[in-house]
Amino acid sequence: MSSLPLLQNALLVGAILFSLGLVGILARRNLIVMFLAAEMMLQGISVSLVAWSRYHGDWGGQILVIFVLTVAACEAAIALVFVLGAFSRTGRLDAAAWQSLREATLGRVIDRELPASDTLPQKFPTLTPAGVLPETDEDELLQREHV
Amino acid sequence: MLAAIVPLSPGVLLAAAVTASAASLWLLLPRGQSGRRERTARWLGAGLGVAALAAFIITGRRLGGLGEESVFLIVSLVAVVSAAATVVSRSPVYAAIWFALSLAGVAGVLLVLGAQFLGVATIVVYAGAILVMFLFVLMLAQPSGLAPYDRVSNEPLLAAVAGAVLLGLLSLSIGRLSAGDTAVAADVAPAVAVDALQADHVARLGGELFSRHLIAIEAAGVLLLIALIGSIAIVARGEESRVQERRAA
Amino acid sequence: MQDISPATLLVLVPLLPLVGAIVTVAFGRLLGSRAHLPAVISIAAALGCAVVLLAGTARLVGDGHGGPARPVEMITTLWQWATVEGSQPFSIPVALRLDPLTATMLTIITSVGLLVAIYSIGYMHDDPGYPRFFALVATFVFSMAMLVAASNFLLVYVFWEAVGACSYLLIGFWFRKPEAAKAAKKAFLVNRVGDFGLAVATFLLWMTYGTLNFHDTLSADGVIMPGILGQTRLADAAGYVGGIVGTAICLLLLLAACGKSAQLPLHVWLPDAMEGPTPASSLIHAATMVTAGIYLIARSCPLFMACPDALTTVSIVGATTALVAGLIGTVQNDLKRVLAYSTISQLGYMFASLGTGTLLGFTAAIFHLLTHAFFKALLFMGAGSVMHSMGGVIDMRRFGGLRRVMPITAATFLVGGLALAGVAPFAGFFSKDEILASLHSRGWPDAHHEDHHAAAQKGYATHFHLAASSPENAAVQGENEPRPLSRIDSPATFRTLFWMSLFTAGLTAFYTFRAVFMTFTGPTRVPEEAGHHAHESPPVMTAPLIILAIASAVSGWLLFSTHALANFLAATPSFTAPAVVATAVKPAFHWDLALQGTLAAAIGIALAAYGHLGRRSDGPQMERFLGPLQTLFARKFFLDEIYTALVVRPLEAVAFIFALFDRRVIDGLVDLVAGIPFAVAAVVRQFQSGLLQRYALAGVVGVLAIVVALAWQLRG
Repeated sequence: MSSLPLLQNALLVGAILFSLGLVGILARRNLIVMFLAAEMMLQGISVSLVAWSRYHGDWGGQILVIFVLTVAACEAAIALVFVLGAFSRTGRLDAAAWQSLREATLGRVIDRELPASDTLPQKFPTLTPAGVLPETDEDELLQREHV
Repeated sequence: MLAAIVPLSPGVLLAAAVTASAASLWLLLPRGQSGRRERTARWLGAGLGVAALAAFIITGRRLGGLGEESVFLIVSLVAVVSAAATVVSRSPVYAAIWFALSLAGVAGVLLVLGAQFLGVATIVVYAGAILVMFLFVLMLAQPSGLAPYDRVSNEPLLAAVAGAVLLGLLSLSIGRLSAGDTAVAADVAPAVAVDALQADHVARLGGELFSRHLIAIEAAGVLLLIALIGSIAIVARGEESRVQERRAA
Repeated sequence: MQDISPATLLVLVPLLPLVGAIVTVAFGRLLGSRAHLPAVISIAAALGCAVVLLAGTARLVGDGHGGPARPVEMITTLWQWATVEGSQPFSIPVALRLDPLTATMLTIITSVGLLVAIYSIGYMHDDPGYPRFFALVATFVFSMAMLVAASNFLLVYVFWEAVGACSYLLIGFWFRKPEAAKAAKKAFLVNRVGDFGLAVATFLLWMTYGTLNFHDTLSADGVIMPGILGQTRLADAAGYVGGIVGTAICLLLLLAACGKSAQLPLHVWLPDAMEGPTPASSLIHAATMVTAGIYLIARSCPLFMACPDALTTVSIVGATTALVAGLIGTVQNDLKRVLAYSTISQLGYMFASLGTGTLLGFTAAIFHLLTHAFFKALLFMGAGSVMHSMGGVIDMRRFGGLRRVMPITAATFLVGGLALAGVAPFAGFFSKDEILASLHSRGWPDAHHEDHHAAAQKGYATHFHLAASSPENAAVQGENEPRPLSRIDSPATFRTLFWMSLFTAGLTAFYTFRAVFMTFTGPTRVPEEAGHHAHESPPVMTAPLIILAIASAVSGWLLFSTHALANFLAATPSFTAPAVVATAVKPAFHWDLALQGTLAAAIGIALAAYGHLGRRSDGPQMERFLGPLQTLFARKFFLDEIYTALVVRPLEAVAFIFALFDRRVIDGLVDLVAGIPFAVAAVVRQFQSGLLQRYALAGVVGVLAIVVALAWQLRG
């Protein structure tokens, strides 16, 4: 088995994963999906590192991937906290909901009217409320679209 | 392997692959369409994506054995296709599930590359822990039905073009790699090649990790601990400030 | 005092007031109501030094009976200010000189300065700028002392500007008052014209004589380098340049003197300068600073002697100014304004006297300078005393009969008025008589032949030939022909000037006593601003008045009867030039001139008494008597209006164009430069959407551009 073709193929897979992750992080507006895209970029890097490790017969690449995993775990923990915080303030997982730091003369970016979605609304299982119904805040309910 | 069959120069093939992948991504990304137009765009995008993938497969190098080649092809296709599906899925839940599948593909690629421990670790850590955490968050925060922001993208054309151009540049430089370029690196590499599926792989990796990189691994442990405490602290304080805000209002 | 060398004393005279000024500036707030102490003490000490110097110089000069006076001078070079080596070496030594003229001037400056400082203790006592005032007075005394002691034209220029700056600051002392600020600005701007003349004159002197020093200097290799007024050049009959260059230098010096001494046509700033505190008017705008022009011309008289036309111009300017200012003074109702025009008029007298180009004329000018310093300072301080008591009111129509309210002020003011009017035996009588005598000697040269010394027996007309060095004058040198009458320095000119001066003497007496009668006689009237405490000023203010009144009363007779001042001044190096010495005459008392002068004064006083003594009020009679002339005088011959039309309006028009250019073109360019970032920002601002993903996209595009560029560079 030739070592160089395997390296090149693996690098190509890594590059595709990285580029797809980049497109995802640039284009998708859902914070969670953006996050998945970021993780995907890390996967692309990991594949490339392991490919080089294999090609050079060196442990360095694999060791580095272990640290990438560690950092990704930390990042996921911290970032999910922020995503949750952001969600609880706006009721949305929208990256475009946060644009207060724009130029004062520019208006908000307003999404054009979307045609009604013809996909069926998804039903997710919800837990039956147990115990006493928690007190709800009217304002907060108004601010949120759906919970 | 198909280069001999299809009489195309590698440069033209690469340009076609880049163009096709850009168009495919643009078509597949959610752009606020619905109904027939959306379905048409999806099919068209999927077709272009398949074409782009085919172009990339053609430009790929041939590996030694047919068995190994097919294994690599399957796992990498799984990884790449489900990655694309992750990016273009309207529903974040599906995106997460596609991502899990992509992770499985990546784990396969890692196994093919001889990193058994990392392959398994990716499945365990990512698919098992991180992704489940994502799904929890999604369950907490996801509105019923599709949110408007899931049905539109931010600058889909520019993003797709940027991604495709990056991919083109990377594959161009990957294609130019030759043994001569890496000769120096190969010389300093250890004599013992790391072959796939070694019996003592994990032991050697662990030995390397806890001898040469001991301090780094300790630091990474501390980092994990800090992230754990930090995330809890942020959640707690955020909750507190929200309570105060409500009282003030 | 025996241990202290004259050089040290000479340095101390200016240095002490400077130290006083610095101490006042540094500790003025700390001293509070005692802020006058440093200034008063230092000026008193300077006066002591000046008196010692005067006595020492007088001892050197001797009694003056040993024939023509020997020049007496002493030079102290402190340090070299600027030295330029080369084919034409140029050096500016900071050199102080001591000679009879300087010693006299120093004594006048420090004595009047001391009295004014003491008087100001009372006058300025509750002013918020108390320390500032005394710091300025001390600075002025320093600058003025340096001006008269400097032995170099450049140093003279420096301190000429310094006294101008002090004057500006003191006129604008109450800078929150718009009139004071405007008056200060006017004084400053008008003086600029004169200072320009002095600057150009300095350049021309350097071009012509190759030095700016007054005194001779010894170069490193032992060669004597003659100074402009040094004894080497004075002894040389052809030492001074006449012709166009000489005349230009002299006329420029005259322009400078006109600016500083408020002579026509640059006199307009002095009446407005009365906005300053009265003690400052007394010191600067009556007694000392305005005499700087007299000093300058007297000092450089050898230069003028080579240019008879310029010299006669001095006389014409002086006599004309004296007449015009006297006429304007007759209709002024502001006590300080009357005195201001009187000052201009008396300075005109001194110029007229200087312009005769005779030793008598020069010494008479300095004599009148001295007596005028005393009685004009006295009159100003008296006016200040009135103003202080009347609550700041200075309009003579609003008060009267003040002799009963403030007897000391009234008495001393009367003495000053008598001295100014030229009534025997007060000081002004003698000095004015000498001035008239000097003019008379030029107007009727034959009548004075017998007065000439043996050294000048060849006749009056020769002395100009001795001085003349230009070729056309050299042709007639030695011949005894009378000068052609078409020249402006003909006797006829001086006869006219003499009659003008005599008429002015009458005018002087008239306006002086008009002021005296309006202020101090008649029924007692006090303006309401004075409140219930219209009273005599405190002793600290009246004591200087009394001292000056005594000086005004006796100084003239003392100095005239002994001829002490004339003999003393004759030893000044500048006055020992052969051309000047040739004009020396036996000191004499001219009964005919004294009678004419006294008659003029008597007529003036009588007219004033007719118009204003007793219950008669001012105004209607004067207007009926003068008719349209009243308007002409009251509007100051429309000179301010003429200047406005000729100078101010054209300048304003030019300034308007420049301002337009500045606003439209210069500012436009600046705004254009400022507009570029605005235009760029208007485009770039659109990218500042606040959207995270757009920023990320921009970053990615940038990274891609770099990667493409790198790949392009590393290709093949």
